[in-house]
Amino acid sequence: MGDHIKEDAFLGIDVGSVSTNLAVINVKGEVLAYIYRRTQGQPIKAVQQGLKELESELPGDISILGVGTTGSARYLSGVVVGADIVKNEITAHAVAAGHVAPEVRTVLEIGGQDSKIILLKDGIVVDFAMNSVCAAGTGSFLDHQSARLGIPIEEFGDYALKADEGAQIAGRCSVFAESDMIHKQQVGYGLEEIIYGLCQALVRNYLNNLAKGKDLLGPLVFQGGVAANSGMKRAFEAALNTEVIIPKYYNVMGAIGAALLAHESMMFEERKTNFKGFAAADFNYKTSSFSCGCCENNCEIIKIKVDDKVLARWGGRCGKWELDQANRRRDTSGVSSSV
Amino acid sequence: MLAAFPRMGHIDILLGDLLDRLGIDYLLPPVNSEKTLVLGAKYAPEFSCLPLKLNIGNFIEALELGADTLIMAGGRGPCRFGYYAEIERRILKDAGYDFNMITIEPPSLGFFKFVGPIKKVSGKSIRKIWRALKESFPKARAFDQLEKLVLKTRCYEIKTGATTKAYKKALDVLSKISGPKEVDGYLEEALALVEGVEKNLDRSVLKVGIIGEFFILLDPFANLDIEEWLGIRNVYLERSVYVTDWIGPTANNPVGGVSDTHLAKLAENYLSHFVGGEGLASVGHTIHYANQGFDGIIHLFPFTCMPETIAKTILPSVGRDLDIPIIHFTIDEQTGKAGVATRLEAFLDLLWSRKRQNEKKRLVKSRQLV
Amino acid sequence: MKVGYPQALLYYKYFPLWERFLGGLGAEVVLSGATTKNTVSMGTIAAESELCLPVKVFYGHLLELKDKVDTIFVPRFVSVEKKSYTCPKFLGLPDMIRSINDELPPLITPKIDLDKGWREYFRTIHELGSNFSSSKRKIFSAYRAGVLALRDYHNQLQAGSTPIEFLEKKKYRKVKKTGLKIGLAGHPYNIYDTYTSMNLIKRLREMGAEVETAEMLDDNIIKREAARLPKKLFWTYEKEVVGTVFHWAHTHSVDGIIYVLSFACGPDSLIQVILEHELRSDTALPMMSLVVDEHSGEAGLITRVEAFVDMLQRKKMAQLC
Repeated sequence: MGDHIKEDAFLGIDVGSVSTNLAVINVKGEVLAYIYRRTQGQPIKAVQQGLKELESELPGDISILGVGTTGSARYLSGVVVGADIVKNEITAHAVAAGHVAPEVRTVLEIGGQDSKIILLKDGIVVDFAMNSVCAAGTGSFLDHQSARLGIPIEEFGDYALKADEGAQIAGRCSVFAESDMIHKQQVGYGLEEIIYGLCQALVRNYLNNLAKGKDLLGPLVFQGGVAANSGMKRAFEAALNTEVIIPKYYNVMGAIGAALLAHESMMFEERKTNFKGFAAADFNYKTSSFSCGCCENNCEIIKIKVDDKVLARWGGRCGKWELDQANRRRDTSGVSSSV
Repeated sequence: MLAAFPRMGHIDILLGDLLDRLGIDYLLPPVNSEKTLVLGAKYAPEFSCLPLKLNIGNFIEALELGADTLIMAGGRGPCRFGYYAEIERRILKDAGYDFNMITIEPPSLGFFKFVGPIKKVSGKSIRKIWRALKESFPKARAFDQLEKLVLKTRCYEIKTGATTKAYKKALDVLSKISGPKEVDGYLEEALALVEGVEKNLDRSVLKVGIIGEFFILLDPFANLDIEEWLGIRNVYLERSVYVTDWIGPTANNPVGGVSDTHLAKLAENYLSHFVGGEGLASVGHTIHYANQGFDGIIHLFPFTCMPETIAKTILPSVGRDLDIPIIHFTIDEQTGKAGVATRLEAFLDLLWSRKRQNEKKRLVKSRQLV
Repeated sequence: MKVGYPQALLYYKYFPLWERFLGGLGAEVVLSGATTKNTVSMGTIAAESELCLPVKVFYGHLLELKDKVDTIFVPRFVSVEKKSYTCPKFLGLPDMIRSINDELPPLITPKIDLDKGWREYFRTIHELGSNFSSSKRKIFSAYRAGVLALRDYHNQLQAGSTPIEFLEKKKYRKVKKTGLKIGLAGHPYNIYDTYTSMNLIKRLREMGAEVETAEMLDDNIIKREAARLPKKLFWTYEKEVVGTVFHWAHTHSVDGIIYVLSFACGPDSLIQVILEHELRSDTALPMMSLVVDEHSGEAGLITRVEAFVDMLQRKKMAQLC
């Protein structure tokens, strides 16, 4: 066995407001290990603990040749781990979907706080849309209702599949949907019908928000944390009248995409990775914020420090503080060399 | 060819009669409902107004029933409605429907743009079209006059629901009208039915003017049946717009009774220029009703309606200066009946307490005089 | 006399004209300055909540000016060509402004209504000028100077400068070009307001993309393209947006289009349908609509713009391979 030959691998990290996902792939794009965990409002901690868990799950000797970060906390996590590439989550999801199903034409993605639709052709993104404003089109819609019904979200799928038909739950807005759901309960609908009705309402909201005026061609891939809910798959298939594929690693697709992007970028430009190693988990990072105060905009600037050394700052409208970011690569590599 | 046109209150009386006279086959899509709205909202842009969403819903329902020709009004702006026919055509084509769209432009954009499309679908001469138009108007106007009477009657009825019952009977009477010569006779009969409702004229009622965007005002589904709701709660109503006034060729508004020029003059100090749609008329009517001693104003319009949003911006200063309470309702597919009812109840409470206070003041004054 | 000029709405279209004209008559034209968070929050508080963002921003500029000037210039733009209108909000703007609760200095509100013909227009100009000078000759020579200034401005824009660079003398950093060209469509008060657009032009340029806007194109091309609509649009400024996008769609002279529209904008909601319909086919240019409002977060905007630029770049790369 190639005990002494380390397998080349790439790490992808997707830090969103609800979940933090990490994935390691090899040069063939196969997933070697992955972690899915809650962010719980502490992105740095989530990344550090995720790295620890990931290291223990990784098979044998591997060497990380590149790291990509994505998700709403992509810049922050990029600084923490020493990312080689920082990409937005739309591109990351699209790349991952194109990788698992090369023929894919439509990616439906529903996360905890936002949702996206991505249309591809020949593996290339041709159109996309993202909703981050309306909660009724995201996973938080179901989370909210599950708390109200007192039924764990994990069991939603089982209930929804038992329903003959969904209860018609109106309202594009979480608040309206909730009052309508209570009404339907009072009228005497069963739990199964109501839960399937909620899935249908979410699908309707999602399609109204994001798919208006777009042709959703097959194959369709449904990914993101909400894809675990088989009621949602059923509702999508009923609404679109076609089969919907759920990829094996549906809930870490963002991380897989980031890893693939890291692979791609390291291939194009020959350079050494900035990755600080799994030990990045041991640093004591501190983030803080302050008001710029240089103009009336008074932007909130986010600062991240390790041992009183400022690693990065960002957040201003004018880009004044981001100028520091141009030096970020040097700064971060400085830290990693001191390890 | 099987034509269809959108639903809006009883506009089908006018358009149906007209198409009959022109020998055009048509079908009526179902009246506006939740289903119509859900269908429309699915295809219409989010920030378009409720009328567009309902139009789209109507047309889809009509196309599913077999219509192949859609008839829609045009316009010259600046209100968006004038471009809806074009937008609807694109949305429905993109949704995969096959049909022919006939847009009837207002005569002010050129006489031929108005009469040309009608000529094309009916194959009738301009003279015949003209006659058909002239003959179908009086019947529709009779419906408006009946409606106007109902709004003033309901608040006095002794038995709740009596007016609505009489109204339904009266509508049956009016639908017997087959030509302009029969209008007077049947209208008299219909009005008599509503006038015959047992009333308590000593009852203290609130006088409220309903103003705003025409579609919402004219369509009971769009306005959540607000008129009946108010009527049975002892509110005497007058409304700023009627179907034939809106669609009619003159600016005199024979049913509503206040001409556009007069309204513009009333509004002058607050809004000195037209802003499309009924924006200027809404301001003018508020002042008109305030001058007539009304107790309050209810302003209804679709969410994102440009002219009425302008009116809404200006109306608070009118209300302050003329001391008349105004309540605004922005209506879209998310508007719930329950929420509107709660706010309306509170508004009526406010109007009643003002009325009582004013009466008390008047009483004290007259005592002092004695 | 100090005349306040709100740096919002049609400022990006006509400022050089009115500045030179009023300045030539001895008025001191005072600008409100670039939009800031403060401008938006003042405007949002003062304005009816259902109004669109650009009008709220205008309110904010007005309030920032009110204590610094003797009068504020708020023209009523009814039409700027025959048989067309501007947006209804422009028709009612001075009246809406007057209903603000705050004490305002007197407003100068000339009515620009070119549908009524040039005679009527020049009467308006004369009347406007009479506020500052009694000499008809002086008024019209000042106006002529204004027209020349506007022409110079248009020439600068067509040479590739943006209104921000010209009016505010801002310079953009030179960055490495990637060969990507993006058409930026939308109302000037959305795309050029650095706050509303969150510095979109600057961001795109920093990502290595060249940006083209309607102002850089020949007017006649835009008019000709807009005339392809089966029914003429009755709003002039929206017609410009449509004509511009049709031109790009037609010639493929850009790699992709970003269409910036404001939340609850009436005309934009329809224009979007027309543009999407036009760009529907498989071979059509990609277009992304960006909705801006007073709540829109910067993070969401950046993510979308980055993803769009990525998409265009990857597409280009795939075509090369």
